[in-house]
Amino acid sequence: MANQIDKAKIKASVERLREYGYPKVEPEMQLGFIHNNVDCIGCRACEIACKDKNGLGPGPRFRRVQYVEGGTYPEVFAFKINMSCNHCADPACLPACPTGAIWKRKDNGVVDIDSTLCIGCRKCEAACPFGAPQFDPEDNLVKKCNMCIDQLEAGRKPYCVEACMMRVLDIAPIDQLRDGTAETKAIGPNDEVVDQVRGMADPDLTNPSIVFVPHSKGKVKS
Amino acid sequence: MKHLDKPTAAKGPFEQTRRSFLKGSAALAATGLVLDGARSPARAFAYEPYYTDDELETVVTSCAHNCGSRHMLVAHKKGDVIVRLSTDTGEYQGDARGTDTEEKPQLRACLRGRSYRARLYSAERLLYPMKRVGKRGEGKFKRISWDQALSEIAERMVYIRDKYGPQALVDQSYAGASYGVLHKSDQIEGLLGRFLGMFGCRTSSWSVPSYQGTTFSSRITFGTIEDGNEDDAFAHSKLIIMWGWNPAYTFHGGNTFYYMRLAKQRGCKFVLVDPQYTDSAAAYDAWWIPIRPNTDAAMMAGMAYHIWDNDWHDQEFIDRFVQGMDEGTMPDWAKGQESFKDYILGKSDGQPKTPEWASEICGVPAEDIKKLAEMYATTKPAALKASWAPGRNAYGEQYNRMAAALQAMTGNIGILGGCAEGVGKGWHAEAVAYPYDQWANVWYASIKSDRWAHIVLNYPNVTREEAGLWPRNDQWDGVVPNIRGIFWQGSDWFNQLTNINKEIAAIRKLEAEGDKESLFVCMDSTITPTGIWADYLLPIATHFERHDVALPWYKGHYYIHRPKVIEPMGESKTDFQVFTELAYRLGFGPAYNPRATRDYFWNPDPVDEAYLKAWWEEKVMHHQHVTWSWEEFKKRGVYKFVFDEPHVAFRDQIEKGVPFQTPSGKIEIFSTTLAQITDWTKTQYGYPIPAIPKWIEPWESLNSPKTEKFPFHMVSPHPRWRTHSIFNNIPWLRETFSQELTMNASDAKKLGIRTGDTVEVYNDRGTCVVPVYVTERCMPGVVVLHEGAWMDLAEDGTDRSGNPDFLTLDEPSPAGAFAYNTVLCDVRKTDRAHRPGWDQLATARSAVFRRDY
Repeated sequence: MANQIDKAKIKASVERLREYGYPKVEPEMQLGFIHNNVDCIGCRACEIACKDKNGLGPGPRFRRVQYVEGGTYPEVFAFKINMSCNHCADPACLPACPTGAIWKRKDNGVVDIDSTLCIGCRKCEAACPFGAPQFDPEDNLVKKCNMCIDQLEAGRKPYCVEACMMRVLDIAPIDQLRDGTAETKAIGPNDEVVDQVRGMADPDLTNPSIVFVPHSKGKVKS
Repeated sequence: MKHLDKPTAAKGPFEQTRRSFLKGSAALAATGLVLDGARSPARAFAYEPYYTDDELETVVTSCAHNCGSRHMLVAHKKGDVIVRLSTDTGEYQGDARGTDTEEKPQLRACLRGRSYRARLYSAERLLYPMKRVGKRGEGKFKRISWDQALSEIAERMVYIRDKYGPQALVDQSYAGASYGVLHKSDQIEGLLGRFLGMFGCRTSSWSVPSYQGTTFSSRITFGTIEDGNEDDAFAHSKLIIMWGWNPAYTFHGGNTFYYMRLAKQRGCKFVLVDPQYTDSAAAYDAWWIPIRPNTDAAMMAGMAYHIWDNDWHDQEFIDRFVQGMDEGTMPDWAKGQESFKDYILGKSDGQPKTPEWASEICGVPAEDIKKLAEMYATTKPAALKASWAPGRNAYGEQYNRMAAALQAMTGNIGILGGCAEGVGKGWHAEAVAYPYDQWANVWYASIKSDRWAHIVLNYPNVTREEAGLWPRNDQWDGVVPNIRGIFWQGSDWFNQLTNINKEIAAIRKLEAEGDKESLFVCMDSTITPTGIWADYLLPIATHFERHDVALPWYKGHYYIHRPKVIEPMGESKTDFQVFTELAYRLGFGPAYNPRATRDYFWNPDPVDEAYLKAWWEEKVMHHQHVTWSWEEFKKRGVYKFVFDEPHVAFRDQIEKGVPFQTPSGKIEIFSTTLAQITDWTKTQYGYPIPAIPKWIEPWESLNSPKTEKFPFHMVSPHPRWRTHSIFNNIPWLRETFSQELTMNASDAKKLGIRTGDTVEVYNDRGTCVVPVYVTERCMPGVVVLHEGAWMDLAEDGTDRSGNPDFLTLDEPSPAGAFAYNTVLCDVRKTDRAHRPGWDQLATARSAVFRRDY
């Protein structure tokens, strides 16, 4: 359902942006994702749940389960990397937006797009190193994961997390995911978490709020 | 039973048409306004208008298809429109949201279940009865009234029965709409079987396409198909051998895949024996043993040899519980006949079934066979999960029986963490709420399910063993049916059985005799590739549009209420409504649906409620000691049973000495039943089956001379992104996976093929066009093409959708196993276009969830 464009509202936002710039938001608490690359069976129930929740047609994919495989027959391996928006501490999309439609929440660090201000220019799509913003040609808007903000506000977890049949995808305060104090089934008793896996953009770019349980072949040597 | 010569004229219920229609449109106009109406001021975060879950009405229901699982779906609706679906959160039974324990896990739906809204509102929905106006298969139909459709069908049924006899109509109902307790499509408990049986004209289809080899093995060996542990038992294994089993694709039980993750965390080791390195192998970090398709029984025989050779077998278990494992356990009446050990050691045929012998056949190094045998025999408890796919083969039943022999000789039966599966049916659910009486499953002929086309094409020169006729004790014994039509209820069998080109030839043969001489009726909620070949398409309400209760499928112990979430779309009716009304026209309405009056066609709700309430009170409360009232169950939406310990099949037999349900009361590795058959042609099998499990050379494999012409062995497993053929039309799912031919990289290199290239896959039976996925994860010489693509015929008869059943052979194994995976083929690059869906616009539609009236 495409929004009616309110040109005056967009203009006001652009002027506000010129005057005040982009304030860096230091959230009171930053939520982040955890995904277990090894135990994930790659079923993509999370992707379909996300599509249904957000009323998306084919094309835009807020959540993307990427399949990685390698080796030579018969010594092969395979694992999955599951990513949507990483709700970065320093989101690259935010300053790329010419209308100030992208904003970061103070309470939980969720990065969201105000669809009434989005003009579908797709600059954020180009700026994001993780491919999170998704262009929806039907509405001529860029859309992306907002961690099911309506669910969070109601005290519930996002649809993708509650869809996970293997219980390998979860959210928690990112600090707790990193220091191992978060209570989550995504991390097994012998698992370690890392901030980056092979093939993924350098986390230093935007400080993404996501950690992984990596596959042995997916580890990044530091 | 009184049968009228002519169907009664439509009166009564149909007079209500206009009034009901007007009432319906008024109601819709009211609800239709809701979505377009004014909304509170836009909030910034999402696309307006946007309803949060709390602003919508929540209705617990479930998914519904024939996949091997059953999970909860929660509909969030506004008026009569489902806005989105979620799944179990642990809260509906009365626990806190998020409750998800090992004893009472959440029933989280898979990707197919989550996409149900796209199917419910798909452009392929059938909304009105349709009548064919072109040739069969041409896809030309016109809309007609229910009255006309049912009158014409009833008239043709009577004509065909009277002219061609009580075997002329084939029941091809299947599980596409099943696994409710009331609205069933099924060969044994189904609504269609009871309807055609009462009508007095029915040929049933007895072999199960997915797992007849396994069914045979379980019945022969254990006397039952309830040979499965519940899914939580997997969490207690120390070793799980996934033999041709890919739970990451099939799911197979409410939480099997998740309990296996728990097993891994507790130190369980995993092995995969399969031509493909599957996602299951990856997720459970399994040791992958690639094996040539259709040689599994040979490898297992090699394992059995090595276990005996090293004295790792459990002789005490064998002596107490097993018949015919070795000389000492042969029954008195069969002393001197060949025992399983005699066969393995080569006492009678002079060929010891050593790992080296097996290695030549199955392509697995002898050292690996020995290593796996040692792991399985010395790790306790160990689960050898012999899955269905390797049984869908020529002599597939031998693989399943061989697996049972390994399970028995290592004493892994009836213990927690072991496994005797087989079919794998675990907890026993109360499954039937509709009248299940002397009229259930009445038939005048019963054939091997993929033989109908062969019978039509060769009639009357068909032997009973070719047809696989189930024996009878009356004049219909051995009479091959003169098939004149098919009812497809919840079934896409024209697309899903073997050797589709032969089916097309059969339907053309009947067509050539004139419209009146045959009848093909398809009852489904969407158009299907089978429906294209029908004379009448009847629009059937989905499970969101009728009242029922869902059962777990194979594993899990729970019931999920399925209320009528929304009113049926268009003019769709339930199967039960259609059969009841047809029964009234044919003269046996009250007997067919004893709780209903003829008004049922227009108002089924009170009758359905009465059946379900009676089922709950008389069966669930009474037999299973559930204390919740029917009203309480309806309010909550789900009832999960909690067990003191995981349910393990045959625990009582092993711990308490309860006899097995076999003739001897033992695990029959040497089968009493099979050993005593003298005339195989008079059995449903038609051809001899050994009394003990044996390796039998299949008619096609990578070891056969036919590989000179057709060098690849094709297997067609169950896909993850469809349930057989259901959901093939869903753009969401098609976006996540493609129909493609999986091929090993070295093979592809030889043929100059790269990922994304389009190829023709072909053999003497047919050709299909499909893109290729090149990988190191597939064994050389093997290609994989998932079943269930919706056939799309080019003018020359080539299938452009990539449906493997244009290449499969319609000759079942003696025990009835479909030979879906016994296929040699070749592959060549092509310029022809692959067509993944019938409609190029399909990928632009799933966003549009609008009710089309």
